Amino acid sequence: MIETFKQLLAKNEQLNKYDIGITIDEDRVATLTGEVDTWQQVVDIGHIAGGIKEIYSVVNNITVKGLEIPVPDYTKEIETARKIGVIHETDVLVIGAGVSGCSVARTMSKHSLRVAVVDMHDDVSMGASKANSGAIHPGHMAKAGTLKAKLNVKGNAMFTQLHEELGFDMKRRGGYGIGYDEEDKKVLEYIVKTAKLNGVPGCDFFPVDELLKLEPNIKGRPIIATHNTTMGTVEPYEVVIALANSAALNGVKFILGAQVYGIEILGDRDFTVITRKGLIRTKYIVNAAGVHADDVAEMVDDKFFTIHARRGTIPIFDKRIPYPYSTGIGTVSKTRNVESKGGGCGMTPEGNINSGPSATETPYKDDTATYKSDLDYAMRIAYSVVDYLKPSDVITYFTGVRAADYKEDFIIGMSKKVCGFVNVAAIQSPGFASSPAVAEMVEGIILDDCKAADIPVEDNPNYDPFLKPKANFRRLSHEEQDRLIQENPKYGHVICRCETITEGEILDVIHSPIVPTSVDAIKRRTRAGMGRCQGGFCQQKVVEILARELGKDWVEINLKDEGSNVLAAHNREEATTDEDA
Amino acid sequence: MKMLNCDVAVIGGGPAGLAAAAKARQLGAENVLILERDIRSGGILRQCVHDGFGLVRFGKRMSGGQYAQHFLDEVNELGIRQLLNTMVLEITKDRVIYACNETDGMLRITCGAIILAMGCRERTRQQVFIMGTRPAGILTAGAVQRYINIEGYLPGKKAVILGSGDIGLIMARRMTLEGMEVEGVYELMPTLGGLRRNKVQCLDEFGIPLHLSTTVTQVYGEQRLEGLTVQQVDENRNPIPGTERYIECDLLVLAVGLIPENELSIAAGIEMDPTTRGPVVDESMMTSIPGIFACGNVAAVFDLVDYVSETGETAARGAVRFLQGEICADEPYVQIEKGENVGVMIPQRFHPSCIGDEGLSVYLRVTKPLEKCVLLAKDGDREVYRKRHDIALPPEMLRADIKKDAAPAALKLEVNG
Repeated sequence: MIETFKQLLAKNEQLNKYDIGITIDEDRVATLTGEVDTWQQVVDIGHIAGGIKEIYSVVNNITVKGLEIPVPDYTKEIETARKIGVIHETDVLVIGAGVSGCSVARTMSKHSLRVAVVDMHDDVSMGASKANSGAIHPGHMAKAGTLKAKLNVKGNAMFTQLHEELGFDMKRRGGYGIGYDEEDKKVLEYIVKTAKLNGVPGCDFFPVDELLKLEPNIKGRPIIATHNTTMGTVEPYEVVIALANSAALNGVKFILGAQVYGIEILGDRDFTVITRKGLIRTKYIVNAAGVHADDVAEMVDDKFFTIHARRGTIPIFDKRIPYPYSTGIGTVSKTRNVESKGGGCGMTPEGNINSGPSATETPYKDDTATYKSDLDYAMRIAYSVVDYLKPSDVITYFTGVRAADYKEDFIIGMSKKVCGFVNVAAIQSPGFASSPAVAEMVEGIILDDCKAADIPVEDNPNYDPFLKPKANFRRLSHEEQDRLIQENPKYGHVICRCETITEGEILDVIHSPIVPTSVDAIKRRTRAGMGRCQGGFCQQKVVEILARELGKDWVEINLKDEGSNVLAAHNREEATTDEDA
Repeated sequence: MKMLNCDVAVIGGGPAGLAAAAKARQLGAENVLILERDIRSGGILRQCVHDGFGLVRFGKRMSGGQYAQHFLDEVNELGIRQLLNTMVLEITKDRVIYACNETDGMLRITCGAIILAMGCRERTRQQVFIMGTRPAGILTAGAVQRYINIEGYLPGKKAVILGSGDIGLIMARRMTLEGMEVEGVYELMPTLGGLRRNKVQCLDEFGIPLHLSTTVTQVYGEQRLEGLTVQQVDENRNPIPGTERYIECDLLVLAVGLIPENELSIAAGIEMDPTTRGPVVDESMMTSIPGIFACGNVAAVFDLVDYVSETGETAARGAVRFLQGEICADEPYVQIEKGENVGVMIPQRFHPSCIGDEGLSVYLRVTKPLEKCVLLAKDGDREVYRKRHDIALPPEMLRADIKKDAAPAALKLEVNG
C-alpha cells in the first residue's frame, strides 16, 4: 500500500516535489504527514491515498505552509460543564441533529431504549442538512459497490413512506439526463451502467424524440437521454424538523445549544459526554457530528478518518420565474466537465428554481460564508439549464459545508476500539436520500450490540410514526382558507406577505415539540421571511410574536443562535407598541 | 365566505391609496373601500418622522405622519370605509378581490373599479450580492426606520449605510440623533442617489462622510455582524482590487433601491413595464386590464410623496370615469416615446381624445445628470410642453404637464442638455 501510494505520488507532477510521510496500521488506516503549499494539495494527496483500494481509511495530517488552523481549547468550558454536573441520563445519545442524527433518533424511538440528541446549535438541521439542494437522489451517481450506493438506493425508496408519515413536501418529478456529443454520451452510458449495478429502479435510456415531445423547451437536439423515475426533491430542513418533532413526540429528548467539548469513557457502553449545558451519561454514542465527526471520534481516541470540508453554494430564484421543464433536466455540460464539480439546476417543491451547489475544498469546517467564485459557479449552472434567468431573479443564496472523507464513502459502524461508540460519519451527498437507510443500519448495529450485551430492548408501545398535518394556508382554496380562519382567526392574519404565511401557522410551530426560538427557526418551519423581500416586512412581526409567545423581551430574540440578537437595545422606553396605542 | 360589493376598491392605505380613495369619493363614487394590511392606514409615512413632505402640494414642510394624517382626515370626513389588518390575496381580471382578516375571514369583494396602491419593497442584501456570512445586523433602511421610530428599539450601535438614496440619508441622521454612531454612507454610483437637500440636511450637518463609487463587498460575523469590507469600484461598477478597507460595525443598513410590489398585479395578468417594474398605465393610470388602475410607488418609484398622491388622484378620476362608462376603451393607445436622456417614464401610453380638463402629467427621470437643460414634450415637430431646468439629476423626477388644449395626437418626451 505504501509503495502504491509513493508510486502514485511520484507520477503526479504537481505533487511529487513534496515529502509526504505515510504509515499504515493493522486496520489498514493510512496516516499522512508532511507540508505542502495549498489546501487543495492536502486534499489531492489525501484522495490519492483514499483511492487505493486496500487502504481502509485515511487520516490526513498534512499541513499547509503558513496556514494555521486554530485548534479550540475547551479547558474552561469543560470545567464549567463539570460544575453544572449531570443534566441527563440516557441509553443512546446522538451527537448532531442533522438529517442523519434525527433519522437515527426517530428510528431508535421505536424501541424501549432512552434516546437523546445533542447539538451545538439552538435548532436542529443547522449544518449541511439545511444548506443543500434538497435532492433525493436515486442512487445512480454513487460508485458501485460502496456503502453509499447501497444505502442511497434503499433510502430513496424509504422516502415515500417517510413522506406519508411526516407530511413534509416531496415531489418525485423524476429527472432526465441529456447529452449532446460523444463525450456526453460516454458519461450517460456510465451512469446507466452504474445505476444497473446499484439496482436503481426506473433508471434507463430514454428515446430522445419522445423526450423532446414531453419537454419542448429543451434546447438544441440531444443525441442521448436517460430517465430517472425516482429522482425527488424536498425542502431539506423541513424533513429534518419533521423527523425531530416526530422523534420528540416518541420520547426522544433534544438538548440544543449544547456543543460537545469532550467525552469520558468510563467503561464499555458507559460514557460521560461533556457539553455546554452540562454532563450527559449514556450507554451508546452515535457520532453524527457532520464536519466535526472526526473531532468527536478523536474525543474517544479513535480518529481513524479525516473529514475534509467541501463548501457548496446554492442560489435560490424568485418563484415567479418558471422552471421550463416538467421534470428535472440535467445536462452534461461542458463547463461542468472542465471544472468536474457537479451540481445541477432544479426546482424546489415550493417552486423556486435553485442551482448548484458548487464544490470548493476548505480548511475551515464551519465556514458557511458565501464567496463570489462559488456563487458565480452555481449561477453558470443555472444559466446553462434555464437561459432566461437573470441575476436580479436571485432572492437569496447560502453555503453549506459537506463532510467528506478521503474514501468518499459513508463511515457507519461501531468503533473497533471503543465499545458503544457508533460512527455515522462522512455522510455527504447523497446523504439526505440515504438517511432513512442509514438510520435503519444504525438501529441494527445498536440492537445487535444490546443483544450481545444482554441489554433488554422492547418495542415502544406508544410509538406513532405519524405527525399531525400542517396547516398550509397558502395552498388552500379560498373556501378552505375561509373555513380555517373560522376555526382559528389567527389564520386570517397574514404575517409574511411574500409567501402568504399567517400568524396561525407561526403559532402552530412555536407550540410544537422542538420549539423554534429564533427568527430563522420560524423561517425554516413556516417560510415566513423566505420570500423575495427576505423578511424586510415580516421580521419585526416575527420578533414580536416570538417575544410574546416565549415570554421574552424583543432584544432577547435571536436571528439564529445565541449572540445573534436582532436588536441591540431599547431606545425610547416610553415608545408604545401599536397594540398599546 | 363573506361577500362585499363596492364601486371603487383601493388596495393599500398609503399616500397613493388615501389620496385615490378621497378623490374617488369626492368625484361621486358612492361606495369606496380601502383595504390596508397594517393595523392602520398611512403606509410607510407612519414611520417617517422627518419633515420635508408636502412641499410641492401644500407649500410647507410636514412630517410623514402629518402628511398622511391630512389625507386620513379627509378619508374619515368622507366616511370612507377602511378594512384594516386585511391582506389582499388575489385580484381577478373581472375585478373581484379576495382578501382576509381575523374578523371577517375570507372576503370576496366585487368591485366596479380597483385602484392598486400597494407601494414598494426594498432591495435586499442578496439582491446587491454582498458576499460573506449571514449574521444578524443587516437590515434594510425601512426596517431600521420601523424598529427605531415605531417600535422604540435600536438595531445596533455602530452602523454603515450602503446606498445614498433618500432613505439612506434620512436614516443616517435619524440614527445619529438616536445616539448611534454612523461610520459613513457608501454609494456604488459616482453620484448621489437621493435628493441634494437631504445630503445637506442629513449628512453634511452631522459630519457624516459620503463615499461615492464605493460599495460593501463582504460582511463578517457568525452570529451578529462584526465588520465588513468596503471597496471602491471602477466605471463599470466592478470592485477595484487593493482598495479594500475593513470597518468594524454591528449594523449594515441597506438603502439600495425600491421595487414596486406587483405580485398581485402580475398574478392578475396585468401587463408590466420592465423599466418601471410597475404596470403599463395610460393617461388615467389605467392598467392593461380595464377598470384596474395603479398609482404611486406600485406603478413606478417616485421621489416625492406629492407625486404619489397626485397619481392616486389621477387614478381616482379614471376609476370614476370608468364607472360612468366614459373611458375610451375603443380608441387605440398611442405609445409615449422616450427621447433623448429619458429613462424611467410614466405613463407609458395615452388615448389622445381622453385627456381630461386636468391635462396629462408625464413623470420621468433623466438617464444622466444634466445642467441647463430643457424638458420638451412634442407631437411630431410641435412642442406641447417646454420647461427649463437648471439642473436635472436621475434621482429627481421631472414632470411635464401637458394641457388638454395642446391636444397631442402623439407624444415624445426628451430632455436636451
